[in-house]
Amino acid sequence: MPNVDRRNFLKLVGAGGVGAGAGFMLSESRKHPVEHLVPYPVPPEEFSPGIATWYNSVCSMCSAGCGISVRTREGRAKKIEGNPAHPVSQGRLCALGQSGLQALYNPDRITGPLVRAGRRGEIEFDPTTWEESFAELANQLELMRTAGRGGGVALLTGGVRGHLASLLELFMGWLGSDQLLHYDFNHPATLYAANERFFGESNLPYYDIENSRYVLSFGADFIGHWLSPVHHGLGFGRSRQARDGDRGRFVQIEPRMSLTGAAADEWIAANPGTEGVLALGIARRIVDQGGYQGTDLDAWQAALDGYAPDAVAEQTGVLPDTVARLADSFAETQPGLAIGGGAPANHSNGVDALVAVNALNHLVGNIGVEGGVIFNPPPAFGPEASRHASLARMLELAEDARAGRIELLIVSNTNPVFNLPEASGFAEALADIPQIVSLSSFLDETTAHADLVLPSNTYLESWGDDTPSPGVGFRVGAVSQPVVEPLYDTRATGDIVLELAHRMGLDLAFPWPNMEEYLKYSWREVWSNGTPDPSIPDFDTFWTSVVRAGVWGDETRAPGGEFVPDAGVVEGIGVGAPEFAGAEGEFPYALHPYLSNGLHDGRGANLPWMQELPDALTGVVYGTWIELNPETADELGLSDGDVVAIESPAGAIEAPVLVYPAIMPGVVAMPIGQGHEEYGRYAEEHGVNPINVLAAETEPATGALAWAATRVRLVPTGGRADLVRVSGEARELGREIVQIADAGTPAAAVNAPAVAAAGAGAPGVRLASGARAAAGIDAPTAGAEAATANTRLNSIPITVVNT
Amino acid sequence: MSLIDDFLARWHEYRRPGYYEEFDYHWTMTVDLDRCTGCEACVTACQAENNTPIVGEDAIARGRHMQWMRIERYWEGEYPDVKLRAIPMFCQHCDAAPCETVCPVSATYHNQDGLNAQIYNRCIGTRSCAVYCPYEVRYFNYNNHHWDEPLDQQLNPDVSVREKGVMEKCTFCIQRIRQAKDAAKDDGRRRVQDGEVQPACVQTCPTEALVFGDRKDPDSAVSQMLGNERAYTVLEELNTDPSVVYLKKVDADAA
Amino acid sequence: MQRRHEDIKFADVNNDIVRSLVETGPRYYVTLAIAVLITLACFFFPWFYQLYYGIGAAGMNHPTVWGTYLASFIFWIGLSHSGTLLSCVLHITNSEWRKAMYRSAEAMTLFSLMVAAMMVMVHVGRPWFIHWALPYPNQMELWPNFRSPLMFDVMAITTYLTGSSIFIYMGSIPDFAAVRDRTTGWRHHMYVLLSLGWRGTDTEWHRLGWAYTFLAVLIIPLAVSVHSIVSWDFAMSIVPSLHQTIFAPYFVVGAIYSGTAGIVTVMFVLRKYMNFEHYITKVHFDNLGKLLLALSLIWTYINVVEVFTGWYSNDSAELESLRYKLFGFYAPLYWEMILFCAVAPLLLISKRFRTSFVPMLILSIAINIGMYTERFLIVGTSLSRQYLPDSWGVYVPSLVEISILVGSIAMFCTLFLIFVKIFPSVSIYEVKETLPAPDEGKTQWQATH
Ligand SMILES: Nc1nc2c(c(=O)[nH]1)N[C@H]1C(S)=C(S)[C@@H](COP(=O)(O)OP(=O)(O)OC[C@H]3O[C@@H](n4cnc5c(=O)[nH]c(N)nc54)[C@H](O)[C@@H]3O)O[C@H]1N2
Ligand code: SF4
Ligand code: SF4
Ligand code: SF4
Ligand code: SF4
Ligand code: SF4
Repeated sequence: MPNVDRRNFLKLVGAGGVGAGAGFMLSESRKHPVEHLVPYPVPPEEFSPGIATWYNSVCSMCSAGCGISVRTREGRAKKIEGNPAHPVSQGRLCALGQSGLQALYNPDRITGPLVRAGRRGEIEFDPTTWEESFAELANQLELMRTAGRGGGVALLTGGVRGHLASLLELFMGWLGSDQLLHYDFNHPATLYAANERFFGESNLPYYDIENSRYVLSFGADFIGHWLSPVHHGLGFGRSRQARDGDRGRFVQIEPRMSLTGAAADEWIAANPGTEGVLALGIARRIVDQGGYQGTDLDAWQAALDGYAPDAVAEQTGVLPDTVARLADSFAETQPGLAIGGGAPANHSNGVDALVAVNALNHLVGNIGVEGGVIFNPPPAFGPEASRHASLARMLELAEDARAGRIELLIVSNTNPVFNLPEASGFAEALADIPQIVSLSSFLDETTAHADLVLPSNTYLESWGDDTPSPGVGFRVGAVSQPVVEPLYDTRATGDIVLELAHRMGLDLAFPWPNMEEYLKYSWREVWSNGTPDPSIPDFDTFWTSVVRAGVWGDETRAPGGEFVPDAGVVEGIGVGAPEFAGAEGEFPYALHPYLSNGLHDGRGANLPWMQELPDALTGVVYGTWIELNPETADELGLSDGDVVAIESPAGAIEAPVLVYPAIMPGVVAMPIGQGHEEYGRYAEEHGVNPINVLAAETEPATGALAWAATRVRLVPTGGRADLVRVSGEARELGREIVQIADAGTPAAAVNAPAVAAAGAGAPGVRLASGARAAAGIDAPTAGAEAATANTRLNSIPITVVNT
Repeated sequence: MSLIDDFLARWHEYRRPGYYEEFDYHWTMTVDLDRCTGCEACVTACQAENNTPIVGEDAIARGRHMQWMRIERYWEGEYPDVKLRAIPMFCQHCDAAPCETVCPVSATYHNQDGLNAQIYNRCIGTRSCAVYCPYEVRYFNYNNHHWDEPLDQQLNPDVSVREKGVMEKCTFCIQRIRQAKDAAKDDGRRRVQDGEVQPACVQTCPTEALVFGDRKDPDSAVSQMLGNERAYTVLEELNTDPSVVYLKKVDADAA
Repeated sequence: MQRRHEDIKFADVNNDIVRSLVETGPRYYVTLAIAVLITLACFFFPWFYQLYYGIGAAGMNHPTVWGTYLASFIFWIGLSHSGTLLSCVLHITNSEWRKAMYRSAEAMTLFSLMVAAMMVMVHVGRPWFIHWALPYPNQMELWPNFRSPLMFDVMAITTYLTGSSIFIYMGSIPDFAAVRDRTTGWRHHMYVLLSLGWRGTDTEWHRLGWAYTFLAVLIIPLAVSVHSIVSWDFAMSIVPSLHQTIFAPYFVVGAIYSGTAGIVTVMFVLRKYMNFEHYITKVHFDNLGKLLLALSLIWTYINVVEVFTGWYSNDSAELESLRYKLFGFYAPLYWEMILFCAVAPLLLISKRFRTSFVPMLILSIAINIGMYTERFLIVGTSLSRQYLPDSWGVYVPSLVEISILVGSIAMFCTLFLIFVKIFPSVSIYEVKETLPAPDEGKTQWQATH
């Protein structure tokens, strides 16, 4: 049994409280930490030993922004489940999201502020105090600001949304610096650009997979990790089995079978980087067959002129028959959905390819319709302009650093030293920055370069809010509340920024004592902009109900209407040949890196559950491998476990071979996520980081890292490394373990039956009711019901504090 | 004579398979393979809920992983016509469970709800149940497990942490079933209603591939699933009569 | 001086055998010390480590949850078979040649049963709760599971152990008395107790004879049942290649086979090191050799049947099991077993071979190595290849397991070494029955004193 010392236990107990009550309780307890013994006969009102309390919040393990309900017992978080009221996750969660607990309780967390004691890049720090750190840092910032050198401050964060993003903008604005960058390896920059170009709308649209009958995915591993995997999973399941006699069909086009490819009905490997060409080949067939009758038909015909079946087949390696079949069935089966992401989106022609995919949706009339592409309204709050940094922008920052234009770099919750190719020179450029401050919960590779480490809370200990992206076609805002008292001497990022502002004397500009107050202040605006509702007389009621429900929304969907792309857009349609770093002769294999299911872009590597989660397709744990087509392996005389050097124009790494039955010959694939040099005991010394051999190739339109555009050669080292796998023989041997039915079988149309039955009108199960729950109008009930739904799911009595 | 009669009566009772002729509840899970993507969210959910340990790389290399829920992967065909068939595999709660007959101390037995129960503190660790289980879903504690502090704080207080020498496996999240039954009792109701209890894996499955409920309730979601013509049980020929029923994966291109 | 069996005089018997009990040379002590040391170092030390660390100290895994400990268990149970069983059969059939060897053969039974019981302790995850497998009345009204073949095992083995202990003890009473009468000091007191006041009256002899025969008849089915029941631990599972009706006879034959080979080994050692050359003779080796040959043929037949049935089933799981056994990871062991247990014993056709001591010793050891392999393969190959291919795995014994195997042999030797100093390891009175009656007068008596 866990060994918990009484003091901590009781401190944690102080975090008790239900729903909104928790919030107030927490802020109070933070000011006056409960350190005295709480005699059991008279427990705190909100806290009953042995009884679980649930808090709704938001998952921050990836950028999807799923709603979560965290089960706590005796002041400790015990389990994270999906918030049934949240329209994105609808009660469900992915593996990574559930492992958030292990970020919170990670033994390698930073427990208090640190100052550098050794050389940069090495983990050698001395403890310091917040007081000292704040005093020095605020002093430095204020000096720079007043001296007009504020522009020398750069703030580099991970993907941030909502009011924290606004706060950072405000802060940097006051400093007079425009060096505010969000860097996220997986940020779909090319998708934003392609949507901007084609739709004139840079937001991500909502891909209504649930109601779609035909999903044609160009490389988007939407079930594995792309954009919003949990929501896509719901859509996938329902599209498959919710409609009797009308099972959704999924076609996946990618050089290496992903989780989505494995779940699809059809998996087609096109030459890497030519997926956009294939999309246009399909488009041309649709137009040729008279499937498109728009007024700009001529323009389309002209634009698609170069994509005749033979030319497309020549480039993509996909037979003309297949192209025709795909085109015909896609045009026939309405509503359908074409989506693009993953490798094709991150190639040298990524934006063009995604525009081509968008075009497909337009040609068959799938835009603005249920089961197709639905535009999201602008986010309910948060900054308007995206601060997401492309590789080009990061290189600019590096350049500024080298030129001495960056005096102080604050890095928060992002790990570019791990997530940028070595060839980018970013890590070296850090050496030219006089002062680096890291706001992080973990000593990762980037934090290793910091001079001052201000440990941040995990999301389970912080206040925040979020506007999920992509949304669900209507406006959604979610509030993230602390579910436990901070474990260590750490602070939330927002609180650190506010404290710095206060110490810089910017109290007037930052009148809020802490992040929670800032949120409440900001949400007043959300409240007053929302639909007025007589049942919610004042803001406090509204706020309490939102915090309790964890989510708020406005279920009006943007009107569908006609969508007509600009003439110029149609003219500009076309996908060039992909450009690779490395000549084919010298580097015969296209390297296909992919995000692993548990480790994501590497952030999950310090979570033991994720390290031990067998890779969804190969069953490997704790390692990195390189996947080869059986034929390729034969040619090279390699078999499972043979170590090869993977050499690209940008570098070399070594990894054991894993013969993978579903990858094109000529392509080799490697999972991203391992190969950490720092980042704690669970992450270190496992595998290698394939990002290190990527060339710093960019997609020209966005400057985004074209991570699928590096070629490599394989040099057997003669070494052997046994891959640790949980799976044995991967063939069924006629034992009929997974049995197969014909297409005609009736659907088992039971959607989330248990939740639906339990809640008896509980929100969040179906999209529509989820929307209603999320809508501000009946938020108090929604909140209560959300809690009840959860409670009933687990049948744990819940104490509801009525504020 | 009454002694003998008594003995015979007891013997008769004893000889009944699974002890219970009729269950109070008949908990059943269905797995729709046409929905399941093999995403493994259920694997982590189970690990989080049931305090299954982190065993480490070496232990996994030695074949000692402990996750009660696992996804089995079977490939079919050769490139390019290759398909992956994934199937969640966990205790099937067989009504004619081979694991139960072999346990010399009845540490694993069939309970009144049709569950294959595992009593950790009765288990002496012969591992025979794991040999007898054809689904390979029993996991043995080859050593004591350790959670680096403060990871131990995430342990579910409703589930015991197993010690070395003890067998463990999926329990259908019996702690949740218990709580649901207690709550139903406290409410003055007689039975747990459909949907009031969801095991952790079912709760989280993003594709809603898993459905759990009482088969004795003809209106329950799970009963409806059982009526689907795709329903089958794995290794049916062994007559273990599992309480986990799979729904066949659909091959859209099959005739 | 080499004597022929026929030349042995009644008194010689007493002298020789009592001498084996009381005259202990340094060689014995050194051997005993080595055996004890190996037992401690190779059995108990690793076992205690395993108790501390968990069964993980061994190489077992998912899906091969059974390993060498269980293989050793079957092996030792098997070895126990020939002793008492053979002795009983030969007693009932009045085989003369039995008489010089049955005592040590029975001891072998006893000690291999004890070692087998130890292997169970080593095998289970929580041996400190092993008593839960015994049906004892308790407040909680918790009983073992009588449907479990493991439970049958517990019953069968304890019964067999009890039966054979009584059998060997009862048969030794007159000898204890004989020794009692010729020893002094603590030994005398010990044998006074052990001989239960035996005076050698006609009534006593009569009753002993009756009871002895009665027990012999009782023990035969018991012994057969023991290994049948051990086989049910496996055969009552539905593991491909274990779920076989032939398993009971297979195990029984295998047990007698390895037990008989074990007797040959023990006979050789006793003959050589206890100076029993004139009691244990070529006749014994010849007869045991014939028996071994017959057993080897039956054993081979059963193996062929086993393979054929598997192949004929045309069932994916059975076929894979079979393929794996014959050609998979452990195939070298399989063929080693065939060589040692099916091919090599064909040499026994030759009488010259059967009556040569050293070749017989080598063959008997080879047979037991082969038989150990058989037990290992039963566990290893079957569990590695079950129904769900995704769960296949390979099992390799760890150092701890190998050490415990070695230690268990040392433990057996230790027990035997202690035995030979307490029990007359060759039956005094029954050997005398095989000798010509002594002449009248004292000459011969004097001659030998
Ligand atoms: N013989 C006998 N039997 C009785 C009774 C009797 O008087 N005599 N009384 C009956 C009554 S009224 C009762 S209430 C029950 C009580 O029965 P139990 O619940 O068995 O009570 P105890 O044996 O007092 O304590 C249980 C265990 O709690 C441990 N413990 C103590 N403090 C802590 C703690 O802080 N945390 C944890 N986890 N464990 C702790 C103790 O070491 C002990 O092992 O017994 C009943 N049975
Ligand atoms: S998809 Fe992302 S946000 Fe949703 S649960 Fe998984 S990690 Fe969390
Ligand atoms: S969570 Fe659901 S979809 Fe994912 S592997 Fe488990 S059962 Fe399949
Ligand atoms: S699946 Fe295995 S462990 Fe579960 S009840 Fe059936 S036989 Fe027993
Ligand atoms: S390992 Fe435990 S549960 Fe399994 S058979 Fe042995 S005692 Fe019973
Ligand atoms: S029912 Fe519970 S114990 Fe069983 S696999 Fe699912 S989560 Fe694990």
